[in-house]
Amino acid sequence: MTTGMLRTKRIRSRMAWVPKRRAVHHVLFALALLVVWQLFSGVVGPLFLPPVDAIAAAFFDLVVTGQLPRALGQSLVLLVVGLLAATAIGFFFGILIGRSRIAHWTLSPYFSALFVTPTVALVPLVLIWFGFGFTGRCLVVVLAAVVPILLSVSSALRDDPGELVEVAKSFGLRGELALLRHVRLRAADGKAQAAHDDRHGRAVVGMAVAETYLRLGGIGGLIRSYGSLFQTDYVFAAILPLSFLGIGLTALVGRVERRFQGWQS
Amino acid sequence: MTETSNGTSARRNRLLPLRAVLRPQVVLPLASLAAFLSAWEAVGRSVNPLLFAPPSRVVGAFIDLLRSGELLTATATTLNVLITGYALAILVGVPLGVVMAQARTFGALVNPYFYGIFATPRVVVVPLIIVWFGVGYTGRLFLVFLWTMIAISTTTADGVRNARPDLVEVARSYGVSQTQLVRHVLLPGAVPFVVSGLRIGAERAVVGVVIGEMFLQLTGLGGIIVVNASQFQTAHMLVGVVTIAVIGTVLIGALDLLERRFSSWKTTSN
Repeated sequence: MTTGMLRTKRIRSRMAWVPKRRAVHHVLFALALLVVWQLFSGVVGPLFLPPVDAIAAAFFDLVVTGQLPRALGQSLVLLVVGLLAATAIGFFFGILIGRSRIAHWTLSPYFSALFVTPTVALVPLVLIWFGFGFTGRCLVVVLAAVVPILLSVSSALRDDPGELVEVAKSFGLRGELALLRHVRLRAADGKAQAAHDDRHGRAVVGMAVAETYLRLGGIGGLIRSYGSLFQTDYVFAAILPLSFLGIGLTALVGRVERRFQGWQS
Repeated sequence: MTETSNGTSARRNRLLPLRAVLRPQVVLPLASLAAFLSAWEAVGRSVNPLLFAPPSRVVGAFIDLLRSGELLTATATTLNVLITGYALAILVGVPLGVVMAQARTFGALVNPYFYGIFATPRVVVVPLIIVWFGVGYTGRLFLVFLWTMIAISTTTADGVRNARPDLVEVARSYGVSQTQLVRHVLLPGAVPFVVSGLRIGAERAVVGVVIGEMFLQLTGLGGIIVVNASQFQTAHMLVGVVTIAVIGTVLIGALDLLERRFSSWKTTSN
């Protein structure tokens, strides 16, 4: 306890000057990396490691010709629709599994199996069974993203907020559904958010996998087609936005999570 | 009299294991599995047995692939890359994690890049890996190694950073050297974190192997999936999928148990 307090105090007193120095460090390190990259690409050749300026030019070209915005748009639609579906399905089965032992014993083995099976391995199956229209691609995103959502909802619901339920009951709230909506889900909210960053990572992976497997549109398709032409500068230029998409989503979720935590306390 | 009482106790003894088996957590999953498989069998047969591959056909394909030796060769290929890449990732990841935590500036500088690589889906990096390592063993190994190594090194660094300051202070006051501090205080304290890193890394490793086998070089279990999918041999393809799922379940399940055992350490050390 005391060590913790001491620690926060120490961190706080450092806060004033640490961020500035750290930012300078980061900028210098990034510049050094870029210089090393540029020199190294001169040694090994532009196919092996395209020079920084070629990547920048390729990025500019992809943006100006509209290829990147269009692909990113397609990918984002797929990601959002897939995530919404996965959230709905994950909450439904998560509530079921978290609240009913029978559902837990009959249903959760399938979801555990789905969790440890790489989504890529399921893509050919989805292709054969559902085709590779928007439905099939959405299904891949759902398969990738649904289990972490489900697990966080069900495990959060399993820790019964007993006192809160008692209070709500004494105020006349009746019925499992009403309790679920007003008490259990809200009490679980903070915990349910906790696994979200993993889930968004997985959704982005599902999206990329779905698009890459058949070179069908989106940013995954874009990368695959430039990759097969061995235009590594364009490959790099198209991968970077995808990395930022993953990081951005996680940061966004982190912010939402912090808000919910504030709400909870 | 004695005979009847003996008879009932013997019957009770015989019933005891039966009762243990009849517990709902055993019966319900089995019943659900039976219902699932028979529904799949019925639907698959009536719609299109070739495309929807009912379980009976999958079993047939399993025997088929086992007899031809294809399944064993493929599993060996997959496990070879999986285990080698995973072991390399541990060998590099744990020391690197310690360094990242000890040299704080270095850790802070490297962290965002590791994070960016970790957040990038591996399927889209495949074209670069083809250029860098070719489509052979090395490329597949790299797909397993890098992402698993990042998972292990970042969690190890977290663990070392979270070392109890009082223990570090005591050790310092006894004048221990840096290597002694790492060996006897920092690493043991980081064990629960390392174990969760091993679990996350294992998940990544299994995915990495399959990506390598499906997109880089058609071999191993991933190769079985792609090749049979292109010939619409759904049953054979499913044998590959199920084998991968079994490997994943065994590996990740074991590490999950290990992580749960060590997670109590985590709460006490905080």
